[in-house]
Amino acid sequence: MKIKSGYLVKEVAGTYVVVAVGKRASEFNGMINLNETAAKLWERLEKGATEDELVNFLTDTYEVGEEKARENVKTFIDKLKTAGVIEGE
Amino acid sequence: MGKYEIAGTTFELKPLFDYCKKNYAEFSAADNAAAEFTVESTAEALKKERELFGFSEKVPDPYVEDIFFERAVCGYILDKKNGTLFHGSVIEYKGEGYAFTARSGTGKSTHARLWRELLGDRVKMVNDDKPIVRIVDGVPIVYGTPWKGKHRLGGIKGVPLKAVCKIVQAKENEIREVSVKEFLPTFFIQCYRPEDRDGNEKFFSFLDGLLKSVKLYELKCNISEDAAKLSFNTMTGDKI
Repeated sequence: MKIKSGYLVKEVAGTYVVVAVGKRASEFNGMINLNETAAKLWERLEKGATEDELVNFLTDTYEVGEEKARENVKTFIDKLKTAGVIEGE
Repeated sequence: MGKYEIAGTTFELKPLFDYCKKNYAEFSAADNAAAEFTVESTAEALKKERELFGFSEKVPDPYVEDIFFERAVCGYILDKKNGTLFHGSVIEYKGEGYAFTARSGTGKSTHARLWRELLGDRVKMVNDDKPIVRIVDGVPIVYGTPWKGKHRLGGIKGVPLKAVCKIVQAKENEIREVSVKEFLPTFFIQCYRPEDRDGNEKFFSFLDGLLKSVKLYELKCNISEDAAKLSFNTMTGDKI
C-alpha cells in the first residue's frame, strides 16, 4: 500500500494541503485538506508504511490507545482509497 | 523598444503583433534598462500555445500571443520573484490594496465598481482582472499588469496588499474574516500555478508567506451600495 506518485504535501500558514503535480495534475486539480496528524500519516504512506506501522506511529506519538488509533488509520486509508490516491494492498 | 517593467521586474518582450505592443505600452521601461528575462514570440511558440489550450482557429493570433506573454511573465515571477498572478479585482484606498477574488462571473469587478461609485477619487483601480502579487522584503505588494480585464481598468504601479476578499453571490449582505484553511481551496484555483513539482514547491511557499500577512474575508453580497459599504467599513476600518 502506497501513495501514488505525483502528489505534494505542503504546509501553508498552519494548514496542510495536498495537490497533484506533473502528469497527475491532469487527473486532479483540486486540493485535499489535511490536519497535522493526517499530514504525518500521509508522509509515512508515501514511503509505503503498513497499517500496523501507522497505528504504532499514532500510539507512540499521541496519547491514544491501539483500538482508537487503528480506527483512525482505517478511516484515513479508506478516505484516501475513495479519493484514488493509494495503490496496492 | 520592447522593454517593460511589470511587477517590479524588467522584461524584454518581443511581440509579433500590434495588439500586445499597444496593451503593454504604458509599462514601457527605458531602452537601456537591463532586462531580467527576455521572451520572444514566434509562429512556432504561438502554435504550441494553441495546442496547449486547445484554441480553435477562430481565436486570433494576437490574443494567443497575449496569453503566451502572460504565462511567460507569471512563470518568471513565480520562479524568481516570489509571486504569482491571480484572478481578482484590486482597488487602492489610502495607499493600500484590497483584492476581490471569485470565479469568473461572480461579480468581483462589479463589487470594485461599487467601491468606485461610493468613494469616487478616494480610490483607484490597481487592476481589474489579473494582478500580480509578490512578497517583497517581507511585504505583500500587489501590482497592476497589462492583463486588466475587458473594461481595461488599472495602472502600472504596486501597492501593499492589505486584504483579500472572496465574493459569493447572496441575497443578504454578510462579511466575516475567514481562516487560511477555509480560504485556500477556493483561492488557489484563482492563482497561476505551474504543474511541475519544483514550481508547486515555490508556489505554496509563496502562498504561505502571503496568507500569513494579509487579512482574509468572505463577503456574501448582492449588487448594492450597502454591500460596498459593508465590505469597505469592515476591511479598511474606516466608516462611510
